[in-house]
Amino acid sequence: MKLDRREFIKQAAIGSALATAGSLFPGISFGSWNRLAGGPGVLAWQKTPCRFCGTGCGLLVGVSDGRAVAVKGDPNCTVNKGLCCMKGYHSVQALYGRDRITTAKVRKNGTLVEVPISEALNLVAEKLKETRDTYGKDSVAMYGSGQWTIPDGYVASKLFKGCLGTNNVEANARLCMASAVTGFMTSFGLDEPMGCYEDIDHADVFVTWGNNMAEMHPVLFSRMLSNRKRRAGVKIIDFATRFTRTSQAADKTIIFKPQTDLAVANSICYEIIKNNWVNDNFVNEHVSFHKGKTNIGYGTEDHFTFSDSAETIDFEAFKLFLEDYTPEKVEKISGVPAEEIKYLASLYGNPSLKVTSFWCMGMNQHTRGTWINNLVYNIHLLVGKISTPGNSPFSLTGQPSACGTVREVGTLTHKLPHGVVMNENDRQMAAEIWQVPVENIDPKPSYHTVEMFRALDRGDIKFMWIQVTNPMVTMPNLRRYRDGALKDDRFVVVSDVYPTPTTDVADVILPAAMWIEQEGMFGNSERRTQHFAQIVDPPGEAMSDTWQIIEVAKRLGFEKQFPWSQDNYIEPIWEEYRRFHTGPKHEMAPYTVLAERSGVQWPFVDGRETRWRYNPAYDPACKNDKDFDFYGKKDNRAWIWARPYEPAAESPDEEYNFWLNTGRVIEHWHTGSMTRRVPVLHNAVPSSYVEIHPEDAADLGVVNGELVKIISRRGELTMPAQINGRGVPVRGMVFVPFFDESYLINEVTLDAFCPISKQPDYKKCAVRLEKA
Amino acid sequence: MMKTHAHHSRGAPLSLLVVSLLLPLATLLGGAATATASDVPDNFDNQGKKLFTAQQRTPTANLSADSGGRTLAEFYALRQYPGSPPRIPHVVDLAFSGNETDCLSCHGKGGYSTEFDAFAPVTPHPENVLCTQCHAQTKTGEPFVETDWVSIAAPKLGLSFLGSSPPPIPHSLQLRENCIACHTGPGAVVEIRIDHASRGDCRQCHAAVPQSQPLTEFTRK
Amino acid sequence: MPIFSYLAIPKRDARKSLCEELSTLEHCQVIPADNQDVVVVVTDTPDEHTEKQLQHTIKSLPSLQSLSLAFGYNEKLE
Repeated sequence: MKLDRREFIKQAAIGSALATAGSLFPGISFGSWNRLAGGPGVLAWQKTPCRFCGTGCGLLVGVSDGRAVAVKGDPNCTVNKGLCCMKGYHSVQALYGRDRITTAKVRKNGTLVEVPISEALNLVAEKLKETRDTYGKDSVAMYGSGQWTIPDGYVASKLFKGCLGTNNVEANARLCMASAVTGFMTSFGLDEPMGCYEDIDHADVFVTWGNNMAEMHPVLFSRMLSNRKRRAGVKIIDFATRFTRTSQAADKTIIFKPQTDLAVANSICYEIIKNNWVNDNFVNEHVSFHKGKTNIGYGTEDHFTFSDSAETIDFEAFKLFLEDYTPEKVEKISGVPAEEIKYLASLYGNPSLKVTSFWCMGMNQHTRGTWINNLVYNIHLLVGKISTPGNSPFSLTGQPSACGTVREVGTLTHKLPHGVVMNENDRQMAAEIWQVPVENIDPKPSYHTVEMFRALDRGDIKFMWIQVTNPMVTMPNLRRYRDGALKDDRFVVVSDVYPTPTTDVADVILPAAMWIEQEGMFGNSERRTQHFAQIVDPPGEAMSDTWQIIEVAKRLGFEKQFPWSQDNYIEPIWEEYRRFHTGPKHEMAPYTVLAERSGVQWPFVDGRETRWRYNPAYDPACKNDKDFDFYGKKDNRAWIWARPYEPAAESPDEEYNFWLNTGRVIEHWHTGSMTRRVPVLHNAVPSSYVEIHPEDAADLGVVNGELVKIISRRGELTMPAQINGRGVPVRGMVFVPFFDESYLINEVTLDAFCPISKQPDYKKCAVRLEKA
Repeated sequence: MMKTHAHHSRGAPLSLLVVSLLLPLATLLGGAATATASDVPDNFDNQGKKLFTAQQRTPTANLSADSGGRTLAEFYALRQYPGSPPRIPHVVDLAFSGNETDCLSCHGKGGYSTEFDAFAPVTPHPENVLCTQCHAQTKTGEPFVETDWVSIAAPKLGLSFLGSSPPPIPHSLQLRENCIACHTGPGAVVEIRIDHASRGDCRQCHAAVPQSQPLTEFTRK
Repeated sequence: MPIFSYLAIPKRDARKSLCEELSTLEHCQVIPADNQDVVVVVTDTPDEHTEKQLQHTIKSLPSLQSLSLAFGYNEKLE
């Protein structure tokens, strides 16, 4: 975009007129125009949350001549206080890739043909109806995303659960946040963190649990670094399975063998008790002890089911359970020296240190993901380091609205916007707000994500609509699910902004409006709801996902439930959705407040945001007149769980002798469908590679850039080696970034999942290597 | 009728002028790039600990201190090509030190030298203590014979991809993994000095895109 | 290539129609105030002739009460 002198003069003309108006009419307001600033040609800066990770940085997007041309950090947003990362600074370039999908396409005789979007929507509605009439209500499914805006997810849930009566609504957040949710629900009875990012400004010690924050949540990480610089004694402990950029910055890196974080967490609890570091008052007043089932399986087989059952135990039984986890015993399992386990315990145990634990995919993408979430809460609960500034077990999210849309709106098979489908009261509430008969809402959950794609492969599901996500890159054991999607009588609709391996398998492609080309809201990791206005026009016939769903709902005869006009639908949808969360535990801000501010934290009660939940000094929902109120559970206590160490679904053996770990790099976000179209990010990391330990590389006889074949029981992939790059795995492990559709590493990974959360483990499976 | 004359001429940044004066015969960027077989990036990104350590150890005042006035022209004048080890611009009395690591007494942490009436530049790689292995002294300004040597162009400054975005790192990180050393403090070159290093992680915003490598666009295969 | 900006005051209760009328005009950008009946108008025209014509058109809009110049720039004057 040319920022020429003429634009600059024009801006001066506007500025001069605004100034004149200001002097003639005191108090006059031109809305966002009053905030005019910036360089030549930029005519307006408008607020929005960033499009990428779950940090939820506030951005100001500079707009000139109807195009987004610049980005700066929003100084009014407490998340990032004016700073972004390289993805945020260049995010608007992701709108303008040359291969943007701007028209609808329909597959006719095997080839995709451009059609008017109304024709494509007609076909989607017809096919949905026909499939449902022929094969039953559970033969159609919606698969969405933690990048759905809140209204996107809300109308999807309303149409499928409320109107069509199927619980086949899932979202890719199942692949990234489900264990965090079940962790919160089992430990506290309510989802989402008790703390907020302000914890970073108070904590003395940060422990990152399998979490490369320097690359994945860079803005929060640099906030930690500047705190360490500014305040004496601040420490960062990197508890990890490979050396990363976070290890480069940490004061100490402790390496554990994959999956053994379970044992180490228990050992930390053992040490805390042994050394009398337990906060007795806190534990007596606010904690109860429980155990669940063990040997719970891995879900690799079709139709796998599991439901946990809680049994209340006492503190003594919990102590007895921990006897298996002395540091010396755990050293043998985990490879972490007993001294280092004791050191970690001493940090948590020291009453004068405030400790914040951070985690994200390392703990969530874990076949015992719910358990490890529980165990880290156990540590914080034993020492009472929770719900106070700086003392925070903090589960981070990876997507901009995994919390806002998937967890709060409840776009998972068992969820409703308030509560779960199994609960009659929750169904009643939804039926009333949605204006549908309560019988419409099926009390039985159907398929979680992995099982949903298995059902598509089996033919139990025949119609799937996929929005804002790229499962043909991200599903584990990918080959099975791609072959399934391509079967003859399967009908796949994909709404997206660029061609991807998922649009490659589509029967209908709907051009989607992206991010600031529509109005919407995201919800970030710290319970912050962030509104953005439509800032630029979508290209061609591109349409918001919300409106696509509404168009189809109207074609299916649900005008009554979807009465809104295209000129104004986000505000009424928000105000309808907000009714689900009435009350001090989850009150959401009204639309007018959201539109004004750079994000608002819920519970938003009497005009005030809640920064620390369960703490009566900050949280108006606390009612018990004690120093904390864990009101999520019926016993008003937080639950400590006895959860054992159990091995991974698949560990290296003689034949497949390496761990395979997958993840991200700072430059690219998820499957790279957006970030690879940002020149600076693509040029920094143009393609994927396999990180390999230098000694292992020497044994294989490969040098940097040479090709390595990675072989698992599911598939194989040949890609260049990176040796001593920014990440260095330990011996016996390789790491592959998954952003690159040319190297589909998920054809190699395993679709094992946590039986409680049903979230797959992308961090652990067994492979062998060959020099290619 | 009120008329306003607007004068908005924006000259090229000083730094670009300096560079072009210094290297009038500079070849175009990219000509000197060696294409590697794969897209696997250079390895020097794994030396980031140096950067984080320097950020942690450097006093806040130094991180944001103003420049001592050393310019890019002076910086490149000591180098045969961008990235080459600079010559030592001052007398080194080896008899006095007897120990090469004495260079680090000034160039390790920087600071004001009364002897040279200047702020000492900080080395980004103090772990390599045999300084004169690479850094040559200058005993004479006269060439033995004239040379037809032609250098490549120095990286251009301010090449942000968007008007408001942080510019990428234009040079290789090899031996220059510690951004703090050259880009902050009074010893830093005035055109490339920054004052926001307290944020801690330079590579959070500045992507490594060396200008000596060809730029490509993403296309689906 | 003149650029001008004006403050336009609509007739009573005519702010909306003034904005609508203005936004149909070429070379013309409209920024209404949120809380007062005042509209900022910016014109960016290719030549003086067009500018004069546009100014005339704006002045003759039925919903306009008054138009006052805030900023004027013409390349030829430099």
